Amino acid sequence: MSQAVAPEAVAALPVAESHEGLLAWVTTVDHKKLGILYFISSFSFFVIGGIEALVMRVQLAAPGLHIVSPDMFNQLFTMHGTTMIFLVVVPMLLGFMTYLVPLMIGARDMAFPRLNAMSFWTQALGGILLYFSFAAGGAPNAGWFAYAPLSEHAYTSLLGVDYWAIGLAAIGIGTLAAGLNFIVTVITLRAPGMRMSQVPLFVWMSFINSWLILLAMPIINASIVLLVADRFLYSNIFNPSGGGSAMLWQHFFWGFGHPEVYIMILPAFGIISEIVPVFSRKPIYGYEFVAGSTLAIAFLSFTVWAHHMFAVGMGHYWDAVFAACTMLIAVPTGIKIFNWIATMWGGQLRLKTAMLFAIAFLVTFTIGGLTGVAFGVVPIDWQLTDTYFVVAHFHFTVFGGAAFAMFGGFYYWFPKMSGRMLSERIGRWQFWLTVIGFYLTFFVQHFLGMMGMPRRVFTYPDLPGWATLNLISTFGAFMLAAGVLLLVWNIYVSRLNGERAGDDPWDGWTLEWLTTSPPPEENFDRVPPIRGRRPLWDLKHPDRTDAVLDKAGL
Amino acid sequence: MSKAKLGVAMFIVSEVNFFLLLIVAYAFYHAYPGAGPTAADSLDVPRTAAFSVLLFSSSATMWMAGRCYQREGQRGVAVWLILTILLGGAFLLGQIYEYIELYSHGVTFSRNMFGTTFFTLTGFHGIHVFVGLTAIAIVAWLVLLGEMKEKERHVQAFEAVSLYWHFVDAVWVVIFTLVYLWAFL
Amino acid sequence: MLGIATLNPLSPQAHSISSLFVGILFFLFAIFLLVTSLITIIVLRFRERPDGGEPRPVFGSRVIEITWTAIPFLSLVIIFFFMVRTMHAADPPPGDRKPDIDIVGHQWWWEADYLQSGVMAANEIHIPVDTPILVQVDSADVIHDFWVPELARKVDAVPGHPNHLWLQADQPGEYLGACAEFCGQEHAWMRIKVIAQSKEDFDAWQRAQLSVPATPADGEAGQGAKLFVADTCVNCHTIVGTPGNQRIGPDLTHIASRTTLGAGAAENTQENLYRWLKDPDSIKPQSHMPNFQLSDADAHALTAYLETLK
Repeated sequence: MSQAVAPEAVAALPVAESHEGLLAWVTTVDHKKLGILYFISSFSFFVIGGIEALVMRVQLAAPGLHIVSPDMFNQLFTMHGTTMIFLVVVPMLLGFMTYLVPLMIGARDMAFPRLNAMSFWTQALGGILLYFSFAAGGAPNAGWFAYAPLSEHAYTSLLGVDYWAIGLAAIGIGTLAAGLNFIVTVITLRAPGMRMSQVPLFVWMSFINSWLILLAMPIINASIVLLVADRFLYSNIFNPSGGGSAMLWQHFFWGFGHPEVYIMILPAFGIISEIVPVFSRKPIYGYEFVAGSTLAIAFLSFTVWAHHMFAVGMGHYWDAVFAACTMLIAVPTGIKIFNWIATMWGGQLRLKTAMLFAIAFLVTFTIGGLTGVAFGVVPIDWQLTDTYFVVAHFHFTVFGGAAFAMFGGFYYWFPKMSGRMLSERIGRWQFWLTVIGFYLTFFVQHFLGMMGMPRRVFTYPDLPGWATLNLISTFGAFMLAAGVLLLVWNIYVSRLNGERAGDDPWDGWTLEWLTTSPPPEENFDRVPPIRGRRPLWDLKHPDRTDAVLDKAGL
Repeated sequence: MSKAKLGVAMFIVSEVNFFLLLIVAYAFYHAYPGAGPTAADSLDVPRTAAFSVLLFSSSATMWMAGRCYQREGQRGVAVWLILTILLGGAFLLGQIYEYIELYSHGVTFSRNMFGTTFFTLTGFHGIHVFVGLTAIAIVAWLVLLGEMKEKERHVQAFEAVSLYWHFVDAVWVVIFTLVYLWAFL
Repeated sequence: MLGIATLNPLSPQAHSISSLFVGILFFLFAIFLLVTSLITIIVLRFRERPDGGEPRPVFGSRVIEITWTAIPFLSLVIIFFFMVRTMHAADPPPGDRKPDIDIVGHQWWWEADYLQSGVMAANEIHIPVDTPILVQVDSADVIHDFWVPELARKVDAVPGHPNHLWLQADQPGEYLGACAEFCGQEHAWMRIKVIAQSKEDFDAWQRAQLSVPATPADGEAGQGAKLFVADTCVNCHTIVGTPGNQRIGPDLTHIASRTTLGAGAAENTQENLYRWLKDPDSIKPQSHMPNFQLSDADAHALTAYLETLK
């Protein structure tokens, strides 16, 4: 009946020496171990970035506090942003991608396993280099986007910004290599029969995401080269007092920075696209449109960058052009939300923790996306840009979007990675603590922005309502931290004592559930011939495969 | 397409964007120059054109090396590769000589926008040439050691390095046109 | 809406933005309501039941996909047109008109040069009520941003790239604002106060600002006046009538007429002025004002002098 096939061999490498213990982890080129290493490092940085946030929220809990000096506060928000973006969200998503993509396409490993290892280590060590700045005279303090001329030598002469630049360059090279690796992997190592139009949506999103990485990372690398040249070699590319252009830095930076935010969300869209169908017991609604809209988003993400610059004075004409592109990019994003909702409609919802986070994602990311549309309307941006309304917007999309999706992904795939189920009881506590904490922290910030509170301020005047809302936000932040700690606790207790998972605890449909939990080093003995988008569904229901169902015109 | 070739092709895609940004910086300050030396009054176009011919020829010799490898296996391959390295190396030497001359005339990195963007753009290209020459040298050395005998498998290395080298040359076509020829616009 | 500055427009420009903002908020809220209602219904209605069986697999519908692509797209086209109209109303082109005030952002204070009258103010900007004032916005160092939400959009102060802003107030009063682009240590205390006055009051204010205060000769204030020159305050600060004419720090000619110190960091009282002179970091930590290690007597003298500069 089903003729299983051995997956394509990875390019011939000498047989690896088998190491034990720590050495095995440090020398591994196995994508599964590297995926877990990504999780460990990104989670560690998540805790550090979280502590930076909590210190800031304590400083802002009431007006006029002196918990930290203004300069320390500036280092904190710079490091918090840089850490969360480059050392947490992107690497954590890379962790999911590294672990899952080869499994989902029925391969033994990535196309370039050693390059894969280089990607992880460059990213982790780049992060350590960045943090070394605290010991070397001060962390970077010019904001995570290091606007010139503030980031130039004349205004920030200590080495912090240099550590920012070089640390990010190192991290960027690792990430770039990872993007390259995923593209070649997905193109060349798919199981026989698996067409590009049949890959799991997580793989598709990871694939498109890798193109974004490939095209966006060089932009920040080049920008950093020029900034470092200004700072070390005394050129003036971005220095108006030397004839340079401060606006050029912004164009360059956001030329990277905008695709970067899509790099932070596309794999999360992929996670949602895997969880929602399985926990609704229905195939994804509108696969082609979810996939196609991803392609649209990827293209458009390179056309909207200057919507970060509406207040800079580019002129109404260019403001309007970028506004149009920005509004355009909202459309494919909305399509996805509708498709996920349509997937759930008529289903048999299993409200496990993974699905709870997916649902929270849908609501929260929608809010974040809608405030994004508000920002695309130029005059509204003229009031709200650079205020706490922006802070709310990007936390709703990055935390409420990417992080919620990743929390869901942990509950979904932890059984596969460890062989144990995470506790649903602790999971529900974590869910509610996280979601309520999140909304308390960030929802009020929309109002603070509308009331006139700028961002990146170490304190604020005692204007009506400001103190109350800031206090609520601080309280929420601690609640959120408690929720995150509960996840750590859940992993800790479940790793050794959790219920055993078996190969396929969720009755899933993609290839990773075909093999054992955790998978053996070579992933699969054999993979079945691929004839549809849900290979395991086809395998389990040979009389009602997707091809049959689709043909029946449903 | 082999994995190695696809990998290098993807790398090239990313490098295109990297150079694009440096090109934009150059073009922007060419359009809005400040005071100080410009391309038109600092650069020796005919001399650089001559050195560029050497670089472009190295693409041809690289191609010949590949053809040799495909047909006869090993013989002649090393010669073509070494020729490629010599031509590419000559180009680099020419560029270093040009840099020294510019510096002696006060056209330095931090002198003005032209200086900064010129040295950054051509400098990064030069680094890419150097990396390419190193890669070609490694392939040549392996050929001489007799390690590239299994054509089926080892042609990937050739294709990858070759593709990269042609890319480096193509970038120079763009830079030469933009910096040296356009200087007179 | 009172208390929410961006929804409390007190100028024609701010009003046009606010109207659009409210409209968009309704639109966005409607979409939010739609999405959340659907999800709520789904969670209540389609929960897994033991007798549930297998749901009917539905792979998609081209018609539905096109519909929910087209409707958002068309809505956004409509919004785009309203947006362009509002951009013009909120920020009309200055044309050939010359600016009335040149506002220059410094780390960390706002310089305001009244180009017609010659008044030089700092942080507190007086304007005549009901009159559109064209402001040029510049920076002397890094990027700042001038933002008074009840009156106008925000606009960046970019070194090397002057921008313009229309400043107008419907009614007399004080309007609070802030620097809205991170500009270093004391970005938080680079606050703005726009004071709209009747034409008569405004003219009186300008006349007062242009008057040259007499330099006191005796008493504590007289001692302070001598210290102002001797202690190198003149290297950063201007007081018309003294050798000081630098603009590194704010113009102090009429400092006693201002309501705050340190661009909003503290109320302008005698006590706070003394505290500022004794230890600037206690009011605005890490500002560019050095601590001169003044003796109590010297600080009191300088305070007394500055208090005469109304």
